[in-house]
Amino acid sequence: MELLIWLIPLLPFIGFLLNVFVIRRERTAGLVASGMVAAAFVVTLIAVGVLASMPPEERRIVSTAWEWINTGSFQVPFAIMFDPLTAVMALLITGVGALIHVYSIGYMHGDPRVVRYFAYLNLFVTMMLFLVMANNLLLLFLGWEGVGLCSFLLIGFWFERKTAGEAAVKAFVVNRIGDAAFILAMLAIFTYFGTLNFYSEGEGGALGFLERVGDIAGLRVGPNWQPIFVSTAISFLLLIGATGKSAQFPLFVWLPDAMAGPTPVSALIHAATMVTGGVYLMARTEPLFVASFTTQGWVTWIGALTALMAGTAAMAQWDIKRVLAYSTVSQLGFMVAACGMGAYVAAIFHLLTHGIFKALLFLAAGSVIHGTHDTQDMRRMGGLKDAMPITFRTYLIGALALAGIFPLAGFWSKDEILAHAVGHGHTPIFIILFITSLFTAFYMGRQVALIFFGTQRDPSYHPHESPQVMTVPLIVLAVGAIIGGAINLPVLHWLTNWLEPVLHEKAGAFNLWLALIATVGAVGMGYLGWWIYTTNAAKIKIGGKDPIYRYSGDIWEGMAEAWYLDRLYQRTVVAGFERLSDFLARVFDPQGVDGLVMGVGRFFGGLANSLRAVQTGYVRTYALVFTVGVLLVIGFMLWIAR
Amino acid sequence: MVPTSYYVLLSAILFTIGVLGVLLRRNAIVIFMAVELMLNAANLALVAFARERLGVEAQVIVFFVITVAAAEVAVGLALLVAIFRTKRTADVDEVSTLKG
Repeated sequence: MELLIWLIPLLPFIGFLLNVFVIRRERTAGLVASGMVAAAFVVTLIAVGVLASMPPEERRIVSTAWEWINTGSFQVPFAIMFDPLTAVMALLITGVGALIHVYSIGYMHGDPRVVRYFAYLNLFVTMMLFLVMANNLLLLFLGWEGVGLCSFLLIGFWFERKTAGEAAVKAFVVNRIGDAAFILAMLAIFTYFGTLNFYSEGEGGALGFLERVGDIAGLRVGPNWQPIFVSTAISFLLLIGATGKSAQFPLFVWLPDAMAGPTPVSALIHAATMVTGGVYLMARTEPLFVASFTTQGWVTWIGALTALMAGTAAMAQWDIKRVLAYSTVSQLGFMVAACGMGAYVAAIFHLLTHGIFKALLFLAAGSVIHGTHDTQDMRRMGGLKDAMPITFRTYLIGALALAGIFPLAGFWSKDEILAHAVGHGHTPIFIILFITSLFTAFYMGRQVALIFFGTQRDPSYHPHESPQVMTVPLIVLAVGAIIGGAINLPVLHWLTNWLEPVLHEKAGAFNLWLALIATVGAVGMGYLGWWIYTTNAAKIKIGGKDPIYRYSGDIWEGMAEAWYLDRLYQRTVVAGFERLSDFLARVFDPQGVDGLVMGVGRFFGGLANSLRAVQTGYVRTYALVFTVGVLLVIGFMLWIAR
Repeated sequence: MVPTSYYVLLSAILFTIGVLGVLLRRNAIVIFMAVELMLNAANLALVAFARERLGVEAQVIVFFVITVAAAEVAVGLALLVAIFRTKRTADVDEVSTLKG
């Protein structure tokens, strides 16, 4: 069994090595990469089966490969584990990952760097699996940084485009802020617990820090006038780390720009897996978060605020992928808010269903982009439903699932979060999230109307359906988006029971009224969005304004700019940094540093210049100086130094 | 017996003549001769002091000086011939291309 769980991350890693060192042909690269991830999925399924056959309280397998770091009291084993939470994450990563790999074979066909693309993709899956399978924070951090690196490489995959390179750097830099907090959290955890292990390594091993959070109960740090609980400090730092990776307020600005990468990358990394890393981290270190009432409040509000901000921003985008990007940020906000309210199962549930239907939406959007010859502006689309029937149907399923229409996957998971908010008295949060879910339905209706209905507004291209290698993954994911909610139906509560050993959560009650209202609201808003943009289809011009701009006015501008957060950073942080760099480059470096260096040179140059007159070249002058010197020395010895 | 101070005085006079010869004359051969004068002034002083102290060490040193002077003259004259061949003169002030 231990060997089995090591196989899960190793198979994609072998694929990565093969793609880097051996494979040179596009076709083999795609097949090997997809095959390795699919094999990892099969192995995960077997591992889940073995796990399910164990008694619930013993469902955790920890395996140590070697002592990774061994310096005095700081001991970190290279240890992975497999427990119910890891299992569902690994299933999502390898399952959706395999489909996206297959899809990529079609999407990336003909690109000059396909082999490299698949190498990156396999490395990403490896790193993501290490992230969710690590048994200590440092190994998790290795995966965390590894996926960040792959994200950087894949966003900037088409580095010939300036925007892609800039977006890659932006994603990397913004993530650094969260990562710095993550490192601080690790240091704090090691200081107070003396270990970075989550759980004990097998029978009789030392307990991991998640098993003895009680150690820091009541401990305070900080200045005397404002001490804070250690649990608050640690969990807050982890929260900052999660806001970076999971694109939460105030660090979500990198995700919309990350859409410069290839669309399957957006589906895999920036919708289904990597960006959920922060949510996974919070669920994994749940005992630390639950220990801090303060941090939980922050988590909840950050999640809700992000959901609302990004949800409104998604309504005002023209780029097909940016709508989905903001939608992803918004849905991640739902998950984070759920974590903050203590509804970890609901968060993971939403993570899983969202991973499926958002991957579906991105891949379908990629199919649209592929079929319209790299068109991304929705104003240039319209009326594609006849030309791309499979894409249209799968897209519609994804949109309905995201909007939360009964009985698709998104309905069940979103409803669980909303029901928890109502049931546990988080009324303001509930209102925010409910409004956001209505907005979600609206922008999905708008998007479907803009892409697939009406008439084609830009006649310069001939849309065509994508090849089967792309549509089959779409269909598989669409089936997943329809039945995905089944894993945690009310009454049955499979997922809740499955995660019970890790998250210790009991199933909540199903709120029928809420479900009814939410569904009616979602249907109504979705229809409204569709109706507005089909009846006003004629008024939408390429490069023109939105039909509702007449009524909303400048609010629409604010939404389109995601409430100017990006511009705020541009004007303050980026502009300040540029000004500082400018000062350093144009003033400090030439005048300060160069001035010092050149000054030393000039001083000795001048000195030598004035001294060179002494060297006349006349030997007799030298002899005279020599003689005078000798006389002076003799005189000194005779009269002064006697 | 002639007092040692006489020898030393003669040595000093010879040495001064040598120094002035080096400083004032421009002909390289004369400068060389002046240098020899200084060396022999030193030799004279050494021999005089050796006689005063009834020792032989200083006399040994004199033989060293004579040997080294012979070698120096050999090298110096060779240089002089080389300079004369290129410059067509033995005037040291003409050989001043190494000025700063």
